[in-house]
Amino acid sequence: MAVISVCGIAKSFSIPSVRRETVREHVFGLLRPRRFEELRVLEDISFEVRRGETLGLMGRNGSGKSTLLKIISGIYRADRGRVVVRAPVTPILELGVGWNPELDAIDNIYLLGGVMGLSLAEIRSSIDDILEFADLVRFANLELRHYSSGMAARLAYAVAFHAVRDVLILDEIFAVGDAGFRARCFDRYRELHAAGHTVLLVSHEPYTIANFCQRAILIDGGRVVLDDRADHVSDEYLRRLATAPLSVATPA
Amino acid sequence: MGAANVVLHTPRPSRAVHLAGLVWTLVRTDFKARYHGTLAGFVWALLKPFTMFLVLLGVFSFVFSGDPDYRVNLIVALFLWDFFAEATKVSLTSLLAKGYLINKARFPTWIVVVTSTSNAVITLLVFSVVIVVFLVASGRAPSAGQVALFALYLVHYFLMVVGFGLAASVMFLRYRDLNQVWEVATQAGFFVAPIIYPLDILPERFHWYLYLWPPTLFIQLSRMVLVKGEVPTLRAHVMLAAATALALAAGIAMYRRHAARNAEYL
Repeated sequence: MAVISVCGIAKSFSIPSVRRETVREHVFGLLRPRRFEELRVLEDISFEVRRGETLGLMGRNGSGKSTLLKIISGIYRADRGRVVVRAPVTPILELGVGWNPELDAIDNIYLLGGVMGLSLAEIRSSIDDILEFADLVRFANLELRHYSSGMAARLAYAVAFHAVRDVLILDEIFAVGDAGFRARCFDRYRELHAAGHTVLLVSHEPYTIANFCQRAILIDGGRVVLDDRADHVSDEYLRRLATAPLSVATPA
Repeated sequence: MGAANVVLHTPRPSRAVHLAGLVWTLVRTDFKARYHGTLAGFVWALLKPFTMFLVLLGVFSFVFSGDPDYRVNLIVALFLWDFFAEATKVSLTSLLAKGYLINKARFPTWIVVVTSTSNAVITLLVFSVVIVVFLVASGRAPSAGQVALFALYLVHYFLMVVGFGLAASVMFLRYRDLNQVWEVATQAGFFVAPIIYPLDILPERFHWYLYLWPPTLFIQLSRMVLVKGEVPTLRAHVMLAAATALALAAGIAMYRRHAARNAEYL
């Protein structure tokens, strides 16, 4: 049974020739019409993720992988198509950035854990584990503005890994932190996988895809161009990277 | 390794429990970030309208020296105004300010807008207690009915501000200078609302226009109940409820229409 069904997803971003972000610019720009260029990031994406499976997702920079993950996570809305997710999803996306710098690690854990679906009791009982996982016990009461970017990223992954209920969506997870932290992430990932969690994993790293996933899909030009065994897909990814010209998104 | 003792497949807490926890966390951390978690920090929030009160009182009590209620009218209006100015300002930018959370996961983002007003609400509640104590001390203790009516107005006031915040916060993501536009509007609005002057000094035919500016309505109703000790007409209450419902409904409609694309504008 498919836990995630993605059916005919399309997503464009409209890029104006002149960017107007303020009332002032709109008022003064009334007499000067502007053109919109439609950047079609995803044309027609369909695939399914089965229960307990780890599906790899490959594609070059700008191929729309992150956009797709945000649509599946419910953060972006697709222009067309349908996504059905039959289990609670925990996305781990762009986690390095974005904390309240005025608050310490513990309060930030409450905030991030809260939006990721944890109750107060759950956060309270896992705070020590989270800090230990991130190796930040000593800095629990330090405000986030004093954190290095690596420390902040570790904290974010630690929270997200503890918030997982069923489906886990990972964007370039294994590129963060030092060797020790990465080893803990690997271990945690293996635990989740062994416990039967479904994982959708994005990576540029053929090694990661080939090692962690049974199956993978390759996205190019806004479409799924290959849906096959993970090692085949990572080979094809490398082949395309070496030969094909860059054609990530086509302006309509 | 460190995380081996984590429970997998935990039962989900009910949605209400989860959202209540999120609301509490947002309110608590907003308070902490704003006032550094201390009561002394909170005193600053009360100091601002109180200083305004002293300065304005010093100047205008001479102008309106014939009005024995000028002082209490002024302080009621100032605190109500301070809530409006503060809550609308903060809620307008709330989605952008909490963008780092909206980008991370799917959750009901309107909670961010509503809780952003919490500091202003706390200040307003503290003031309300102060004003009632002040009235008791000055020998005109309000009855339970008066206090209840005043509380009813505060609820309406809050809901109207929430309606504004819902609409304004999604628009602010698209028009990033709306906060400056609103700052100018509130600056002018301070003088449109009858805060430093009694509404009666203006010709009657202008009153209707002033009532279009929401703070006027709430200032006048509160003064009537708390200071004059009169009960406004039923018609006034119906209009109040209708205006509040309209503002809230418009805000919700605007929010529902645009919220799904919020993350794209962050």
